[in-house]
Amino acid sequence: MTARAWTIIGCFAVLALLFMLPEVLRPYYLALVTKMLIFALFAMSLDLLLGYTGLASLGHAAYFGVAAYTIALLIVRAGVDSGLAFPVALVAAAATGALFAPLALRARGSYFLMITFALAQVVWSVAFGWRSLTNGDDGIPDVVRPDFGWSLDSTTSFYYFVLAIVGLATLLLVAIVGSPFGRALRGIRESESRMQALGYNVWRYQYVAFVLAAAFAGIAGALYAYYNRFVGPEYLYVVQSAEALIMVILGGAGTLIGPAIGAGLIVFLEDFVSSMTAHWVLVLGIIYVLVTLFAPRGLIGLVDQLRQRRVKP
Amino acid sequence: MTWVIHILNGIAFGMLLFLLAAGLSLIYGLMKILNLTHGSFYLVGGYIGLTVMQRTGSFVLALVVAVAAVALVGAAIERFFLRRFHLDELPQTLLTFGFLFIFADLSLWIWGGNPLMLNMPEIFQHSMPMGYYAYPVYRLFLIAIGLVVAGGLWWFQEHTRIGTMLRAGVDDAEIARALGINVSLLFTLIFAVGAGLAALAGVLAGPVLSLYPGADFEVLIFAFVVVIVGGLGSLRGALAGALLIGILDDFGKAFFPEFALFTVFVPMAVILVIRPTGLFGRR
Amino acid sequence: MTTKKMALITIVTASFAAMIVAAPRPAWAADPIKIGILLPLSGNFAENGQQTLTGLKMYFDEVGNKAGDRPLTLIVEDTQGKPDVAVTKARKLVQGDGVAVLTGVVTSGEAIAVNAFSRDNKVPLVLSGDAGADELTMPGPLANPYLVRTSQNGRSVASAAADWAYHKGWRKVATVGSDYAGGVDVNFAFAQAFCKLGGKVIQAEWPPIGTADFGPYLTNLDRTADAVVTFEPGADGLRLARQYSEFGLKGKLPVMDIYGGLVFESNLPQLGDATLGFYSSLFYTPMLKTPENERFVAEFQKRMNQLPANEGPNGYVGAHAVVDAIKAVNGDLSDTMKFIAALKAVKFDSPKGEISLDKYGQVIQTMYIREVQMVNGQPANVPIASYPHVDQFWPYTEAEFESFKYTYKDSKNSLTDCARLLAKK
Repeated sequence: MTARAWTIIGCFAVLALLFMLPEVLRPYYLALVTKMLIFALFAMSLDLLLGYTGLASLGHAAYFGVAAYTIALLIVRAGVDSGLAFPVALVAAAATGALFAPLALRARGSYFLMITFALAQVVWSVAFGWRSLTNGDDGIPDVVRPDFGWSLDSTTSFYYFVLAIVGLATLLLVAIVGSPFGRALRGIRESESRMQALGYNVWRYQYVAFVLAAAFAGIAGALYAYYNRFVGPEYLYVVQSAEALIMVILGGAGTLIGPAIGAGLIVFLEDFVSSMTAHWVLVLGIIYVLVTLFAPRGLIGLVDQLRQRRVKP
Repeated sequence: MTWVIHILNGIAFGMLLFLLAAGLSLIYGLMKILNLTHGSFYLVGGYIGLTVMQRTGSFVLALVVAVAAVALVGAAIERFFLRRFHLDELPQTLLTFGFLFIFADLSLWIWGGNPLMLNMPEIFQHSMPMGYYAYPVYRLFLIAIGLVVAGGLWWFQEHTRIGTMLRAGVDDAEIARALGINVSLLFTLIFAVGAGLAALAGVLAGPVLSLYPGADFEVLIFAFVVVIVGGLGSLRGALAGALLIGILDDFGKAFFPEFALFTVFVPMAVILVIRPTGLFGRR
Repeated sequence: MTTKKMALITIVTASFAAMIVAAPRPAWAADPIKIGILLPLSGNFAENGQQTLTGLKMYFDEVGNKAGDRPLTLIVEDTQGKPDVAVTKARKLVQGDGVAVLTGVVTSGEAIAVNAFSRDNKVPLVLSGDAGADELTMPGPLANPYLVRTSQNGRSVASAAADWAYHKGWRKVATVGSDYAGGVDVNFAFAQAFCKLGGKVIQAEWPPIGTADFGPYLTNLDRTADAVVTFEPGADGLRLARQYSEFGLKGKLPVMDIYGGLVFESNLPQLGDATLGFYSSLFYTPMLKTPENERFVAEFQKRMNQLPANEGPNGYVGAHAVVDAIKAVNGDLSDTMKFIAALKAVKFDSPKGEISLDKYGQVIQTMYIREVQMVNGQPANVPIASYPHVDQFWPYTEAEFESFKYTYKDSKNSLTDCARLLAKK
């Protein structure tokens, strides 16, 4: 069989498995898989910048959090219908990205990392400090889930809702990275000057990638607000940004499946190990070090390494 | 008189930030490593100093042991781990993040979760009267030691052989290697010096800021801010950035308390927008 | 391509398989009752979590991990001090492990998030950790019939401090309050109660949480104030205590430390005589000379090798309330509301003093004013006054409390404005 056929069979197998999960998993674990899906999308959105465009951001939580807060504020403070708040949240996240991109794109490399970090911290300060609007660090509870004549309050129905949205978003991302636009981004990652010489407006490509990454992070943030039915300033904090960065690197930057696996693994490990021992932080730290040593290109890179080793002799 | 006190406060805090940021900046300048473990070096250094101080009562010994121990740990991390991923940003980030976690948990395990304060040496335990106010002598000592370290680092960079190698390495590691400079040894040495400076900051800050879980991350963020403002890889930038942020932090809190949360991050964002490479950074 | 995808599919399948567990079976009367404990055991609040856990376990051990003839099983989960993690863990405990009661919880953010979970899933939640957000147990948007809180709240401790400060003769005070939701809550309650008596806050300073250097705030303090009123938990409290004397303020301006963040038990031995003479208000001090407390302190010191502050006793009292309520319903928790009613009806003597609950499930307990004095050569929080049976609305009636126009959320910038603080709807 051809590689393509295997890929299609593989995708269908995973999809079928995901569809059947509610039949076999207890609600708690189903909710955990829901969380994995949300963070998989968050990590993939960051990878659009980091892996495909070569811009490492340490402020990606800003767009995640802006969308989550938009959802919460609209629903709890303004009484807007929960489903209607969703598109508004996406626009808010994308708009924040559109606003920050011109500032951040003046810098490259580590400076880009730091300027995105600085901008995200400013957003965090607003969420933490503007108490009359956001309740500060107490956060906003009672975020209602959307109801499309079909309640999303049960774990199973919400799981399918997230699966559908994340699935759609993933298809979109696959289409984007496979399009001429995506190829141009990879070209820019390899050599900005060459792409410039070829007549590409590098800045405009990077700008669009930045805004798209913010919008997809916004989808994840909005889903996470529904998921927990609660938002707080932690969603915007640098720890959240760093975690997303680690998910991408752990899984393997420059692919979509890598960050998704990295996200799923970290969500699972944090939950699983922290139930076993209060020293889960130590365990996770050791795992990060080991992964770097044995799979410096991430878990996906490890799979590639193993494959090459098998093919060579 | 209050102005004098505010400026002194800002400088004293700035000097602690300088010790932290100088190491972070040197390491980045030479090896292009964004060292997320830097805050852990500060915290672990402080804790080691605390233990030595409790056992022996000697502040000087606490400083020496903490700096030496952390410098060794730093050298080991560079030699056995970071070395393998030279100029490879992503694995380095993951690695230093892993060590941040490891040190955080180990220090919680060993020293517990209560905030702990180092005792300061007897001679600094009093305050200097200033009109209606009083100023703690220990902070003047902090300023002095900061200036001494800054001067020492400058002299080291400008007037020693290793300093020359360092400057050559910062400019272009390949050429430096071609010139016959032992870049490998230089990397380990500078990483150890950076880690040692962070530990020095930890012990010196112990009597003022105290040590507690989470302090590693808090100071890491402050050190980031300083090197962003000052410019990565520049000693001058680290000093200027540290003093600026120290003074801004103090004045912001004193005169614009409404915006205390923003006094550091907004100026940082503004500076970056105007000068994306910081005050003294190079593109 | 092929091996790569295959490997991925294997990874995914394997991790899902790891999570599939047999469906739960119906409970038997002799089965243990599972109690879920949500506490931060890692991260910045690890110490708060650890001390609360010690208190909880001390009581459960004391009764042999049994309530009547029903054995109790404790399942502890680490919330990391993050609200979203706390909710995930609450879900695990309830839906995964099948616990009947949730307890613990340290930060207010966690409490508010878990409170919503408890209400939506109809699971009893007994707050026995620090979480002190007043609104949780008051009529309003957070009200939850499945919640009781045996630990503390912000207002009561602040109100006791205000009453004592006024009767001490102070009329104008400056406040230094940590700038987060809980800090504003506590300082607002103080200022309102102080205004009502006839005093006034003449200056309100708000250092952000995690303030490294209190130099600027101390230098700016209004020296015409009769006293300084502080609320600074954690490392901030330790720093402020040390820097207060360094900046030469000790002895010039007396201190009333709401909640005792500066004079926290683990701080005192580190500070020497720097806090000697500081006043503080709290619902506990290890120096209480009651048989319950002396026994508690001895056992706590054995387990933790340090003196208890507020967390240990809070955990201990929370466990006591849970056990008493389970006994009151004869171990039958099938009727949740009956169990909640039993919780609200508990009444016992504890290391903190006499404990009972109001109709909203908030604890009614004694507030102590303490002063740091040397006891056997060591600084200690010696009780110098007490306010028994303080309920959450004190010093007002519930109706009077509800008639105020402004809440803490819109009052951070108006602590010095008594007319506004006391304005009626």
